[in-house]
Amino acid sequence: VLHATRQLHTTQQSLAPLPPLPEKGGEVRHGLIPEEFFQFLYPKTGVTGPYMLGTGLVLYLLSKEIYVVNHETVAAACILSVIIYGIKKFGPAVAAFADKLNEEKVAKALAVKNEAIESLQAAIEEEKKEQWRVEGRSYLFDAKRNNVAMLLEANYRERLMMVYNEVKKRLDYQVAMQTLKRQKEQDYMIQWVEKNVIQSITPQQQKESIAKCILDLKALSKGAHAAV
Amino acid sequence: MNLSFFDQFMSPSLLGIPLILISLLFPALLFPSPSNRWITNRLLTLQLWFMNLITKQLMTPLNKNGHKWALILSSLMILLLTINLLGLLPYTFTPTTQLSMNLALAFPLWLATLLTGLRNQPSVSLGHLLPEGTPTLLIPALILIETTSLLIRPLALGVRLTANLTAGHLLIQLISTATTILLPIMPAVSLLTLIILLLLTILEVAVAMIQAYVFVLLLSLYLQENI
Repeated sequence: VLHATRQLHTTQQSLAPLPPLPEKGGEVRHGLIPEEFFQFLYPKTGVTGPYMLGTGLVLYLLSKEIYVVNHETVAAACILSVIIYGIKKFGPAVAAFADKLNEEKVAKALAVKNEAIESLQAAIEEEKKEQWRVEGRSYLFDAKRNNVAMLLEANYRERLMMVYNEVKKRLDYQVAMQTLKRQKEQDYMIQWVEKNVIQSITPQQQKESIAKCILDLKALSKGAHAAV
Repeated sequence: MNLSFFDQFMSPSLLGIPLILISLLFPALLFPSPSNRWITNRLLTLQLWFMNLITKQLMTPLNKNGHKWALILSSLMILLLTINLLGLLPYTFTPTTQLSMNLALAFPLWLATLLTGLRNQPSVSLGHLLPEGTPTLLIPALILIETTSLLIRPLALGVRLTANLTAGHLLIQLISTATTILLPIMPAVSLLTLIILLLLTILEVAVAMIQAYVFVLLLSLYLQENI
């Protein structure tokens, strides 16, 4: 039914913000009758008012046989007892299950949000660490500079050592040459002297020296005989 | 009012206006339509969870083409479930006790699965008439038997649902009548009958749910064969 004074929907009015739905359903007493009914009757009839009304109504329906008691009543009693038993026993469990489904939905979204926050915080920590590292850069460069200087020094010393060794080798060679030459000269001289001496010994001298040796030996043997 | 045992199965009419349409549409009032809220109230959450559950259950064995049947099969499931369970309340008319209604549900849906199969993959559909590994001599007999079983499927679907619910309702009526009659005569036996009635009611609740499920499950099975 359209009111003639109201405009037809020309915009997407359905996307306008809706009023918030109530979180829980209305309060009911005995699972069927809203609490508002009891509050409605309370000023005039007090606490027992609605119950008296209910009892009176039921008795009226029964006594005037507006509601006839027959086999359906027994069947009704059975099915109602089964239903009430089921609701009493499994009601809270089912409600908890429904709440859990909603909770999981919310938890998933919250988890995404928390994960994003955590990853961002970790990124902040990493950034701070990098900044701290940057501060220590000068020490790093000093250490590197020292390192390079040491390397250069070590290289220089090494090369110095090499030069010394080479020079020593050349000088040793000269010294060895000199000693060798002197030795050779000495040996040659000795050989020459010996050769000349041996050549100069004439046969006459040889005989004389041998005779002298024999005379000496005799004298010595005499002396030895006397000693013994 | 004096009820005979079969008055509960009479299609209700008021001043000549058949009310069966209203009784078929009534279950739709009981299910809130999904809102655009992200977190909904408990009833809607449970309803959505339940719909997801049965849709997943029905659609998992089907291939992509079969998923076109998701809406009709799941809504059929909900309709049958609600009608059957509501029928257990006293003085309530159960539309699924009417054979006409059940055949009207079963026959077109079964025929749709059959024609889909014959249209898209005729040889495979006809191949279902012969189970694998039958001895050659038995083939003619087996073809006849399988054809019969194929053609009797809609009848079976409809009559199964009707018979189960009608029998259940009649039994409830009879045993409650027995309880009522025996109450002034032999209260102890009446109490026994009352216990039987309680157990029967629990059975009827189970049967109501199972029959709805079986109906839709068999349809989805026939669909699996043919799609």
